[in-house]
Amino acid sequence: MSAHADGDDKNYLNCETTLWSWISTVDHKRIGLMYLFTITAFFIVGGLAALTFRIELFSSGAQFLTPDQYNVLFTLHGAIMIFLFIVPGIPATMGNFLLPLMIGAKDVAFPRLNLLSYYIYVVGAAMALIAIFNPFDYILSGFSAEQAFNPADTGWTFYAPYSVKSGSAVVWMTGAAFVLGFSSILTGLNFIVTVHKLRCPGMTWNRLPVFVWALYATSVIQTLATPVVGMTLVLLIMERVMGVGIFDPSMGGDPVLYEHFFWFYSHPVVYIMVLPAFGVVGEIIPVFSRKPIFGYKMVVYASVAIAAVGFLVWAHHMFTSGISDWTAIYFSVATFGVAIPTAVKVFNWVSTMYKGSISFETPMLYAMAFIFLFMVAGTTGVYLATLAVDVYYHDTYFVVAHFHYTIQGGAVIGLIAALHFWFPKISGKMYNEPVAKLAWFLVFVGFNLTFLPQFVLGMEGMPRRYFDYLPEFQPMHRLSTIGSFINGFGYTFALLNLLYAAVFGRVKAPRNPYNSLSLEWKTASPPSHHNFDEDPEVDDYPYAYGTPVEGGGHH
Amino acid sequence: MFRYLPEQASEVAPKVDWLHHWITDLSVFFTVAICGAMLYFAVRYRKRDGVDHETPRIEGNNFLEIVWTVVPTIICVFVAYYGVVIYRDMVEVSEDPDQVVINGRGRQWAWDFQYQNGKVTTNEFVVPVNRPIRVVLTSTDVLHSFFLPAMRVKKDVVPGMYTYVSFTPVKEGEYHTFCTEYCGKDHSYMLASLKVVSQAEYDRWVNDRSAELMKASMSPAKLGAKLYYEKGCNACHSLDGSKVVGPTFLKLFGTERVFSDGSKATADENYIKNSILNPQSQIVEGYDAIPMPSFDGQINDNEITGIIEFLRGLDGSAPAPEQPEADEEKGQGEDLSALSPVERGKWVYENKLCITCHSLDGSKLVGPSFKGLYGREGELNDGSTYVANDEYIQKSIMDPASQIVKGYQPLMPPYAQQLGDEDVQGVIEYLKTLKE
Repeated sequence: MSAHADGDDKNYLNCETTLWSWISTVDHKRIGLMYLFTITAFFIVGGLAALTFRIELFSSGAQFLTPDQYNVLFTLHGAIMIFLFIVPGIPATMGNFLLPLMIGAKDVAFPRLNLLSYYIYVVGAAMALIAIFNPFDYILSGFSAEQAFNPADTGWTFYAPYSVKSGSAVVWMTGAAFVLGFSSILTGLNFIVTVHKLRCPGMTWNRLPVFVWALYATSVIQTLATPVVGMTLVLLIMERVMGVGIFDPSMGGDPVLYEHFFWFYSHPVVYIMVLPAFGVVGEIIPVFSRKPIFGYKMVVYASVAIAAVGFLVWAHHMFTSGISDWTAIYFSVATFGVAIPTAVKVFNWVSTMYKGSISFETPMLYAMAFIFLFMVAGTTGVYLATLAVDVYYHDTYFVVAHFHYTIQGGAVIGLIAALHFWFPKISGKMYNEPVAKLAWFLVFVGFNLTFLPQFVLGMEGMPRRYFDYLPEFQPMHRLSTIGSFINGFGYTFALLNLLYAAVFGRVKAPRNPYNSLSLEWKTASPPSHHNFDEDPEVDDYPYAYGTPVEGGGHH
Repeated sequence: MFRYLPEQASEVAPKVDWLHHWITDLSVFFTVAICGAMLYFAVRYRKRDGVDHETPRIEGNNFLEIVWTVVPTIICVFVAYYGVVIYRDMVEVSEDPDQVVINGRGRQWAWDFQYQNGKVTTNEFVVPVNRPIRVVLTSTDVLHSFFLPAMRVKKDVVPGMYTYVSFTPVKEGEYHTFCTEYCGKDHSYMLASLKVVSQAEYDRWVNDRSAELMKASMSPAKLGAKLYYEKGCNACHSLDGSKVVGPTFLKLFGTERVFSDGSKATADENYIKNSILNPQSQIVEGYDAIPMPSFDGQINDNEITGIIEFLRGLDGSAPAPEQPEADEEKGQGEDLSALSPVERGKWVYENKLCITCHSLDGSKLVGPSFKGLYGREGELNDGSTYVANDEYIQKSIMDPASQIVKGYQPLMPPYAQQLGDEDVQGVIEYLKTLKE
């Protein structure tokens, strides 16, 4: 650390080192890192909740939990993973860190607002922690043992009227989701303005990296859809606290209305999670194949199309909910409209590898795993879009497996891929490649062993959110539990490996370890406080790999 | 590949499965093709000896991109179309006059079914094979969902509105019913059994009202005693004065209760009702360790009255009632000598399975209806005639095979071993009251 004195070695990590310099920073890179540490903590909590109930589900019959404890655990797993981990996920961590670097800007458009977003997130997270431990019921009840452990138990969907009748922690949990929504909206606004206003000279819309396009599409969804769920959750709180009858039929409300409001946000939110992961894969594959991304414009348009059509398909979560048949038919057909741009993206990624010079560093392995997992997620989505078949599958383990392939196989694998890919840029160090590959292997095998059996369970008719199940479902549950632990070890190795390299690693990263053409690799690793030493300028898009050939097309 | 769906027991099931298997085969094909291409490229174009080879700058291909937009679109159109067509089959409202309509009700955490003749059941329902069935659904509390995997149908059960599932079972057997919308603590135990049986068996079952009738004709205190065991009150409340988890029921009624917050109340009718429906509102001092669950929604007013009467009777003057034996033995211990002959006959009718085959409303079940039977004249299947007098009826009970009414099968067992003279006389008197 004697290098401090050397002016050339100053970077965003060591330019100031006090605690205050971190918690009051408006540097997008530091804010991205603070998000990364916070959401990783919640990822661990949510993962431990899942492993706990996977032990319970190892055998048919009650094991070591009560039904109430099981219900609390799957609620915490869902609510934490969705609201605290994967919605901020890639945009708040990698997006914050990379967006200004990729478009050649010094920071996001509103750096202070960016810090505010982070602290709003922290407040929301604190409210979620209150919901988890729910100390107020315990105190107000005069320390009654019965109220000692009484967290929210509604599932992350908070469906009325159960959520109106269930314990008071629901108010804290929905309040938390409401506050977290503001963080999401402000980040989205910030990114939209940044992309519009802060592109460096030469960075036209047609030269934006696909990851930036994905962030842009994501930000539009965040800004437009999140207010709806915010209002919905406020209505739910009003119903509980003030007895205003909106969703509870015993007060004249309509529970199906709640489902519409909820999914109007929570379907597009799936694309908030997964579009940035598409962007990550779109960055990694060209670099490790030494080929331009195949069909740049199609890839970009597909992202925008998914974001747009994603707003029009929400009630495919509600085919059996009592909506009219014609409504169900419309939403089924519209849902296929999302399948097509998604399929197009997969074709483009795979074709990018054609005639490449492919090397298999860890980020590339994650990107290839992503393509397989996303094929499974996408094709199983076709079953669920198909009206007659979804009636059978709705609320079974098939749906559970499908959205874990989408969100874990898609968004989480995308985030881990991004962490490995940009790790040299973020930390200035190189990680241990063999350990990273071993972790990748465990994650891939463990993940599939966890969730492939759940497709089978769904086919056999096993409903979701069941504390106990019929004996015939036991073999597949056992495979799934074993897989979940392998998966958990995989993530543990991957994260520890990166943490070790960041703290104790001795191998310094060069500016551009992968010979990427993208702008963020043109500055130092790690970048200086103001990102670029001289103002960057670009004259082509960042995928102009390889030798120009006849009939190669134009981007 | 991946054929794990359960057996097909309804008309629509093979159609759903046909589409399902098509999607499966297409999915497997495309996944293998695309991931196969990816792996092939990965091996074929791998970087060798750590040195990049020259790569062509291929930035796209309009023809290919149009192809792989149009082909999935065409496939999607077909899949979506058949999904809609089969869905319409599934939800079609049958105009068949033969259709069986059952009212289903979900509550935390059980399914209640009511048939059109008034028969009610909990957590089991029976339907005839090869007839359209429509279960009209609603909920008394929160969202539930009614899932019959073997029939391939499912519908959410929503408080404040009616939904339905319709299906035509094609195979006799016993099938699972699951709740598939999370509804709280015992969501995973909210199961019901569906029995698909022949038309004849269904008719006999749906007209057998003996279990309900017996419950309805019980004295309130007896009903209360029955519920004390059935609902599991006995797990926490003793009848002999000993302290278990909750206070004993012995000599509870009418005494003054002191609560954990220091307030007091007399254990009257309203107190007991409130303790059953809202136990947390008044916890007796010293009993706040393990909270009692609310029975709200699981017990009706009639049953609450029964429990009140049961508690009123527990004043220590008589021994506490024992737990009744299994259902088949119901009524064995009852004192019948106090009954009038007609009452005795009605009791026999309801408890000795006559009700299973002989209706009271004139409808033909397995045997002739009892309505208007006494005094009737008719033909037996050996060609001779009969008059339904005392002698004929007695012989019909003791040795039914000796005189089978024309048009019926000799299915009734002889009751000579099971009924005494008073029972038989009672039945005769009872039949007299059913004359037209």
